[in-house]
Amino acid sequence: MSGADQREPAAELGLLDATMIGMGAMIGAGIFVLTGLAADIAGPAAILVFALNGVVTAFTALSYAELASAIPKSGGGYAFVREVFADLPSFVMGWMLWFAYMIAGTLYALGFAPNFIELLHVYGVVAPPGEIGAVAIPLLPFAVSPQVGLAFLAVLLLVTVNLVSTAASGSLETVFTAVKVSILVVFVGFGLVSPMFAPAAEFQPLFPAGEGPVAILPAMGLTFIAFEGYDLITTVTEEVENPRQNIPRAIFISLAVTLVVYLAVVTVAIGTLGATGLAEAGEAGIAQAATAFMPTFPVIGQGGAVIVFGAVFSTLTALNAVVIASSRVGFAMGREGQLPACVGQIHHRFGTPFFAIVASSVVMLVAVVLPTQSAGNMSSLFFLLSFVVVNGAVIKLRRERPNMNRPYEIPFYPVPPVLGILLNLSLTGVLIWYLVRTDPLALALTAGWIALGVVGYAVAGSRSEPEPTGDDAEPVAED
Amino acid sequence: MDLRAIVVGGGRVGFHVARLLDQQGHDVVVVEEDADRCDRIADSYFATVIEGNGARPDVLRQANPEQSDVLIGATGRDGVNLATCVLASRMNAEIRTVMRVSDGDAAAGYEEVVDTSFFPEGVGARAAVNAATAGDIQSIEALPGELEIAAIRVIDGSPLAGRSLADIALPRGSLVVSDADGDRIPGSDTVLEPGRTYLVAVEPEVAGEVRQLFHG
Repeated sequence: MSGADQREPAAELGLLDATMIGMGAMIGAGIFVLTGLAADIAGPAAILVFALNGVVTAFTALSYAELASAIPKSGGGYAFVREVFADLPSFVMGWMLWFAYMIAGTLYALGFAPNFIELLHVYGVVAPPGEIGAVAIPLLPFAVSPQVGLAFLAVLLLVTVNLVSTAASGSLETVFTAVKVSILVVFVGFGLVSPMFAPAAEFQPLFPAGEGPVAILPAMGLTFIAFEGYDLITTVTEEVENPRQNIPRAIFISLAVTLVVYLAVVTVAIGTLGATGLAEAGEAGIAQAATAFMPTFPVIGQGGAVIVFGAVFSTLTALNAVVIASSRVGFAMGREGQLPACVGQIHHRFGTPFFAIVASSVVMLVAVVLPTQSAGNMSSLFFLLSFVVVNGAVIKLRRERPNMNRPYEIPFYPVPPVLGILLNLSLTGVLIWYLVRTDPLALALTAGWIALGVVGYAVAGSRSEPEPTGDDAEPVAED
Repeated sequence: MDLRAIVVGGGRVGFHVARLLDQQGHDVVVVEEDADRCDRIADSYFATVIEGNGARPDVLRQANPEQSDVLIGATGRDGVNLATCVLASRMNAEIRTVMRVSDGDAAAGYEEVVDTSFFPEGVGARAAVNAATAGDIQSIEALPGELEIAAIRVIDGSPLAGRSLADIALPRGSLVVSDADGDRIPGSDTVLEPGRTYLVAVEPEVAGEVRQLFHG
């Protein structure tokens, strides 16, 4: 007997499933949560912000495609970097990527809360989002704002689901993503025919007064996280059928489709509500735009409710995706001996990377007290830095292992990875420069997290036995 | 711990060695000279592939022996296998070297230089004899189908250590079939004691997960 009940092993994922996993992670955060914030910084040029981010990220997508086709490991960017770089740099990479996903989880939870309140508001259950005061909870000495409380509960719910069940399968993700995209198509369709849609007026002037085109740079940094989905595809590569063709395809298709969806949605949102209105709505920007122009339907009532539901659904499923992704990165690091061994263990009963999920959830839960914008900034910053390293890994591998079989080769090498490094570094620079002026807390937390990791790594390393220093060591002289 | 393994030679033997290692959850790099074989391995997507002659130091170095735990020389030529094992030991004194030999009698001689050797034709012959004698007793190394019976030790600190079978849930496609002494069929109250070995029947799809559960 092997215990009372048994679990199903993971199923194979087709091209559609893999593509949908990537799109599912991208669509949800970027578009529902960050459009309003991007419009706040860049005005109608938010449309350029998304377009240019798509271009910047395409170079890194090429690097991911080459690495994923050649290195059959499920661990995302961390697994590739671990293969190429020495212990400390690969640890720092994993540490950053792990945090990027965890803080992205916080971002999605914080995006979920106001949209959920908006949904309740549409049906008259509660007052509009801005008018709900803090709620005093018995036993707690301070009042909790409902946004923070809801975000906390959302994380708690999805973490619990993932702790006890491995059913987070690709096919379920396919359904989720299809629902999200359909809702956005409805939004775009009604928006384009709405009498409120006046692009000629709303897109003039394109750039915010007094700031000019430079204003789009910090907005690009903030919304960069909207394009991080392909790292998620590479965390499940070993479950994909015919991976050497399907993974590069899934990466490119998911990026291209997502970009088209984003541009259509942002065009409609700005064309109807205007950049100013969008900016005022913040995290619930798309939802409020929809409420403004959608007609009334039987049964559902106000048509905007569909879009608000879409926002609630999208942020929750994206949160689910990053709970899985962050725990997979933590798990991979645990298995490589770069985090405590228990983080790399499967739970004896649930079959899930239990400790990796618990460890990941702690940061997500604590971070819900941060402002949404800080969470977005930090997540984008960490993804930008990780992507620099991933592009570097491509170049290092090409130089050191020319004979490696690369089923997918980047065209026009070395131009794309070099451009990827330069563009990601420039955005990192712009984002840091912007954070120094507007959000020093996010910057301090970012630096603090990296410092914590490096110090922890050094302490753990000095306590355990000195290991062979790996590929950094000089070859021992042979006699 | 997951091993990082280098398999030199991606032909009939090397291909299956690499695939089995991958199924058990280890990281595998295959070094293979023939371009068609490289494509075939890449299609199967269980190993990183270095295209080239593994007996050449500049090629073998690309498989990163400094950071690997084990190297298996699995080409059809003893000389190449021996050379890669020796080269790998020079690049990393800690690496475990396993050499494929084409003559079972010569194996002992090679083991002065390499850690272990194996003789695929000998193993194949035993499987054939098992089949021919119609299965009064089956070697646990070779079953007729995909199913594998493995003797797996519960490592100290594994997530299963010290727990009863009723307490754990192994993936579907796996079954503990003996108790620690190997003379009883286990019941739900059987405790998996650390340090003891159990016979476990596993389907290839879940072999890696089962190994990770037993070995932490």
